[in-house]
Amino acid sequence: MTWQQIESVLGRVRPFLQADGGDIELVEIDGHSAGVRLTGACSSCPSARMTLVLGVEAALRREVPEFDRVYLR
Amino acid sequence: MSAPSPQLEMANDLVVGRSARMRAVFDFIHLIRGSDSTVLITGESGTGKEVIATLIHRTSRRMHHPFVAVSCALFSETLIESELFGHERGAFTGAVKDRPGRFELAQGGTIFLDDIDDVPLGMQVKLLRVIQNRTVERLGGIRPIPVNVRILAGAKRDLKQMVGEGTFREDLYYRLNVLPLTLPPLRDRREDIPELMDFFFDRFFRRKGEENPQISDAVRQVFMRYDWPGNVRELENACERIAQTCTCGVIRVGCLAANLLFGATNQPPGAPVADPQPTDSTTPISLDGRLRDLEATLITWALKASRGNKSKAAQLLQVKRSTLGDRIKHCGLDQADSSAASPASSDVDAA
Repeated sequence: MTWQQIESVLGRVRPFLQADGGDIELVEIDGHSAGVRLTGACSSCPSARMTLVLGVEAALRREVPEFDRVYLR
Repeated sequence: MSAPSPQLEMANDLVVGRSARMRAVFDFIHLIRGSDSTVLITGESGTGKEVIATLIHRTSRRMHHPFVAVSCALFSETLIESELFGHERGAFTGAVKDRPGRFELAQGGTIFLDDIDDVPLGMQVKLLRVIQNRTVERLGGIRPIPVNVRILAGAKRDLKQMVGEGTFREDLYYRLNVLPLTLPPLRDRREDIPELMDFFFDRFFRRKGEENPQISDAVRQVFMRYDWPGNVRELENACERIAQTCTCGVIRVGCLAANLLFGATNQPPGAPVADPQPTDSTTPISLDGRLRDLEATLITWALKASRGNKSKAAQLLQVKRSTLGDRIKHCGLDQADSSAASPASSDVDAA
């Protein structure tokens, strides 16, 4: 599991998030999990945080079979 | 094409769409409003066959009589028969009293037989007899009951093709296919998506006592770019889910389910990937940063599409192989390694 693999998945949703005044950043990789930071518009909405994290996690698991989970930093 | 009648306009609070494809559907319904003939409505799952059937009924001379919709996919072969034609007491175990079938319940009005393509061959012959004789016989009954019912049928598969394969009776097909009407999938009438979004968001937000939700442009872009394999029904469900979970009054990308968000990004990035406008005029944006992100997105897409083959990816992006290598470095896409360290963590604090 590489930084690039995760970045490429995040990169697919990033343009939409940025157009909405937000962003998602990869902060660290810990084993098979990734720490991300949400900034801007959606970062303060609990439901958006959950939806986004679960969404990115599901996409990552599809792309990277050994991927475990996404956590917020 | 004739203009829809005032009557059709009135009934049209049911259906949203101004695209040429939908206008053709409305024109057809207007054209057949005086007819009592059978209509075969074909369309993918979720395209709104039952809604259109309701509209046909409401604009017909039978509008003040019952409209009965029944999905033929829901029942086993014996159950369909009892459901459609009714049964007499004692006809089978559990038949404790006389029960009229759907055809009798639709007396004077319209019956919509949805999922007609799921009706087993054995049952098809019985339906054919009802259509020809306009009488039904309840299960366990002995006398035929005359039914004055207009028949509309819905199918998600091509019945003509099923006839060729031997899974649908040819005689029944011709009985049903008097007035054929095909509903377009949502991806073929994308111009209707904004109006559909407003229609459903309005409905679901009003249901929870809120009005006029704001929808961000990015969300509209995602909705426009997603392929909607489940058609209008899928869009309706997406709007309902968002209305249930969105708490901040503005529908933003973060509220969207993963399949929508990632589905929209599966499209080849021919068009600009995102609205380049900053959302407000006070927050500065980095042009270089934005361009690099866009470049990285396009390169990542090309690499993925060519399964990591850089020569093919370069062809897709219409650049030289060496140029692609330079751009990959420029975007930092070559820094990938599995170390746990963050190469360039942003200095923006999490909220």
